Amino acid sequence: MVEKIQNLEMSGITKRFPGVLSNNNVNIHIVAGEVLAILGENGAGKTTLMNILYGLYQPEAGTISVNGKSVRINSPSEAIQLGIGMVHQHFMLVPTLTVCENVILGLSKTFLVDLKTATKRIKEIMDRYGLAINPEAYVWQLSVGEQQRVEIVKALYRGANLLILDEPTAVLTPQEAKELILLLKNMSAQGNSIILISHKLHEVMAVSDRVTVLRDGEVCADVNTQDTSQEALAKLMVGRDMAPCKRDGKFSPGKPVLELQDVFAKGDMGTNALAGVSLSIREGEILGIAGVSGNGQKELAEVIAGLRKVSKGKLVLNGKESTKMSPAKIIEQGLGYIPEDRLHVGTIPSFSIWENLILKDHNKPPFAKRSLLQNRVIMSHGLSLVEKYGIKTPNLETPTGRLSGGNIQRVILAREITRSPVALVAAYPTRGVDIGATEYLHSKLLEARSNGIGVLLISEDLEELTSICDRIAVLYEGQIMKVMPVEETDERILGLLMAGIVEEASI
Amino acid sequence: MKRVLALILAALTLLAFTGCGTNTNKSAETTPATKVEKVRIALVLPATVDDLAWGQSMVEGLKVVQKTMGADKVEIATSEKLGSAVDAGAAIRQYATQGYDIILAHGSQYQSVLMDIAKDFPKTTFAYGSGFATAPNIFAYDPQAQDGGYLLGILAAMTTKSGIVGIIGPVESGDAVKYNYGVQQGVAKGKADVKSRIAYTGSFNDIVGAGNLAKTQMSAGADILTGSSQQAVGAMRAVAETKGNYWLSTDMDQSSIAPDHVLAAQVYRWEKVVTKIIDLRKQGTLGGQHLILSLADGTIELKYNDKLADKIPAEAKAAVEQAKADIISGKLKVELPKK
Amino acid sequence: MEGVMNSAIIISILATGIRLATPYLLAALGEMFTQRSGVYNLGVEGIMMMGAFAGFFATLHSGSPLMGIVASLLIGALMGLLMALVSVTFKAEQGISGIGLYMLGWGLSGLLYRLYVGGITSIDGLKTIKIPLLSDIPFLGPIIFDQNVLVYTALVLVPLSGFILFKTSWGLNVRAVGNKPEAADTLGVSVERIRYQCLILGGMLAGLAGAFLTIGQANMYADNITAGRGFIAIALVYFGRWSPWGILLGSLLFSMADSFQSMVQVLGINFPYELAVILPYVVTIIALAISFGRVWAPAALGKPFQRGTRG
Repeated sequence: MVEKIQNLEMSGITKRFPGVLSNNNVNIHIVAGEVLAILGENGAGKTTLMNILYGLYQPEAGTISVNGKSVRINSPSEAIQLGIGMVHQHFMLVPTLTVCENVILGLSKTFLVDLKTATKRIKEIMDRYGLAINPEAYVWQLSVGEQQRVEIVKALYRGANLLILDEPTAVLTPQEAKELILLLKNMSAQGNSIILISHKLHEVMAVSDRVTVLRDGEVCADVNTQDTSQEALAKLMVGRDMAPCKRDGKFSPGKPVLELQDVFAKGDMGTNALAGVSLSIREGEILGIAGVSGNGQKELAEVIAGLRKVSKGKLVLNGKESTKMSPAKIIEQGLGYIPEDRLHVGTIPSFSIWENLILKDHNKPPFAKRSLLQNRVIMSHGLSLVEKYGIKTPNLETPTGRLSGGNIQRVILAREITRSPVALVAAYPTRGVDIGATEYLHSKLLEARSNGIGVLLISEDLEELTSICDRIAVLYEGQIMKVMPVEETDERILGLLMAGIVEEASI
Repeated sequence: MKRVLALILAALTLLAFTGCGTNTNKSAETTPATKVEKVRIALVLPATVDDLAWGQSMVEGLKVVQKTMGADKVEIATSEKLGSAVDAGAAIRQYATQGYDIILAHGSQYQSVLMDIAKDFPKTTFAYGSGFATAPNIFAYDPQAQDGGYLLGILAAMTTKSGIVGIIGPVESGDAVKYNYGVQQGVAKGKADVKSRIAYTGSFNDIVGAGNLAKTQMSAGADILTGSSQQAVGAMRAVAETKGNYWLSTDMDQSSIAPDHVLAAQVYRWEKVVTKIIDLRKQGTLGGQHLILSLADGTIELKYNDKLADKIPAEAKAAVEQAKADIISGKLKVELPKK
Repeated sequence: MEGVMNSAIIISILATGIRLATPYLLAALGEMFTQRSGVYNLGVEGIMMMGAFAGFFATLHSGSPLMGIVASLLIGALMGLLMALVSVTFKAEQGISGIGLYMLGWGLSGLLYRLYVGGITSIDGLKTIKIPLLSDIPFLGPIIFDQNVLVYTALVLVPLSGFILFKTSWGLNVRAVGNKPEAADTLGVSVERIRYQCLILGGMLAGLAGAFLTIGQANMYADNITAGRGFIAIALVYFGRWSPWGILLGSLLFSMADSFQSMVQVLGINFPYELAVILPYVVTIIALAISFGRVWAPAALGKPFQRGTRG
């Protein structure tokens, strides 16, 4: 039987990956009923540390002790036996199985699966913490928030009383995130310990009792939440003062540069991913598209870039109808595009930086003369962009795929903005990018705006949208719920609209 | 480790293929170096040396040649399972390069590759069949399969009790068409109200498919069946499982594995054809002739199964012998399929 | 045409159809398990050839087709194990490994036959077993209940596979491993072990399918005896959407069409034979094209599983 974890300590943990010291002499501890937040930028070593605790990796040095006894955790199943459960950032659920089957997977040792008993136990757990999911539903039918709850039930079913959650709110709507925070508080109140991995400061402030901050693989602070502030944590996390970008009050949009009129398009599954979208983006403004991803964002960006067929409706780019234009023609017509998948759609990972920087113009002067590449021009162009955009790379020949996410994004941004487009579509440009790089990307988007470019910014991050957009449109199930000036929105209204609730949002 | 394993696998596979692919007659090679004039013959087969049909009949013929001329006078090398003309082409070219005197490409599908290769080896003799197109150093041999088929057809029609003769066809081409057409004419001649029914498997080597098709033929009433190509043994085996149903072989005598069910066989005497090619070559004729296998010169024989002699009515045997004599004398000419 | 299609002929067509469906059914049900666990084994054809040879060889020497069945199961398990070693442990590309296994099976079965048997030899294979009472049912009796033991085995395996896949703990593990191996892994289900088990099971069934050809149908062995049936079995797994009943449907459809076209040819009904022999393929493709519903391919199919190196 699982002995309850009264206190758990990881001390002197060191873990190395080829070329990276991911954790360097890290110490953390947690007691029963406590919510510990582990805060840090991408690459700070948070997830590595938790994977060590969950038995997925073995550290080179350091010890773990539970209730004062030293333990070795060689595999997830050993972690589970100790009462440690983990909810991964990417859910570890099998979509084609039911909730109940997912929960008992790996536990069922009898010849036949006993779904009846399992369902009963699942219902008990759900009642205790106020969770509601149909155990017979297939996981693929569930919303992201519900799937996350299945993950939590899965851990609790296995007797976990210490729960690790890796960036749990990254995929949730604001409402779902609020519900999750309530659930976590409820669980800790009932004596469970919770370790929350996050880089979202407000959420850390809202839910945790204590914060351990990691930077470059080392613990740089361990503070009680009530003794600190968002600003202080941000500084600890990044290692310097932050100056979050905000748009200036001046807003004088010009003529429309990109218009969508009642656009319909099919998704990959053949259903209508866009169902009558009308939008207008003007010179010198940033229009934000809010919404939970999967509601047509990807298709919207692809339709504009000419990568997906429009089944009905009309697109106008820079005064010309672009509905049926080829992607190449659309680029020529003045569209810049920062795609969602920066590694495979935005760049060619095996190509060098200089090649990726001229990808869209390699056949035009000054980069080519009579189909021959002009190396000297290209190299000096590349060098100047690397410098101007602060791309961290050994040299221009480095394959782009070797760069970090933030640096790849800089390469794309450099290429797209220097082409001086009239309109720029940016899909999730800061997803998975650390705070420093995010700040830089925001400043560049604002710079584009003041240069008169019309920017369409697709994002899930409401903070990002409200800080740099002029107007925000909410996309839900392929339709625009509403378009509002940023002054008239707040997180509550956007959250309701993102969940498809219009009535309450208008009050 | 992964690479080592891959190598082992590759080696095993290679071994498995080459192991049964090429077989040089060692006894001939290791003869003392006394300068005996030796004919070196290479045989390329689409199927196997032991298919109890087209391929094996030629192999047996070559064995007879070797036996008659002496093992020190004839060297034989064989490559089998070369159904694809491209693979066969590689083997043929290799044999030519190694200096084999006569290369037998035993299949009509080899005609075009042979035409191509033979130009590069003007001193080598090539032969293939069934076919008729020749070149200065290419012989084409051509069994008159319809003649034997005709005789077997008469035999079937006059022996059947159900009144239905079933033919299992591989694919409608080459030797098989000629044979089947001969059988059909023979059945019609043998007895007016006996029906012949043809069905094809669409394959040359699917013995399971041929067996199943034979079962279907029998369930629909056929009691005497026949068919050519190497898959035919499958059909014959299906016939052998039943009582009172009989099989007629072609290419070679197949009664060895179904002694109680093979009534008679059309047998090709390849040794006579090969001997002729050897002789022509000795006289300086490297090719250019269309060699016909026929009942007249004994290169095609009709063989009865003595064990089942009592199953064949006397008048049937008499009618067959009469027809045979007429074909040999030229009085009777069995038609070939149009086109 | 109505005139010639009397009830005896129809019974013959249907009974033959069921017999013809057996090797597809056996091999495809095995392949269904391997694919459900996330590995596609293109070597089924090669395993079938080895199974065909082993079944033939053991029957030839022991005189008992039962020994043939045992031998084919053993050799099939060995071939499955080899595929597992290459594709699961060494994580080689599955398509290439499968084709390699096919080549190996083809070459090796031919070689072994040449070395240990020689020329064409025939055996006494499985006899049909009339099931008492059931075989007396009019119409259905002679179609289903007058077959050999492997036909019954294949038919029983259909509901049994469904039961194993959807009602047992092992089946649950298989479905999880084939759809999201990382999830199964984190819950202590060994992805490698399940894949090994499925490949071995699939190999055994493919071996049995091969044995059916030699000891259940042809009663002899010849090179390339499978003549592409293993590849058709793989296609039927896709046709059947990885479900035993779908595979049964596909196998029956294909084989009934095959049996029907043979009879059409035999009865001399005026129809070009070239079209007749492709009828089974055409019917199956049309059925596939007009069938609706979502296709649930196992999501991890074809992907070797490797724990992430960086979280």
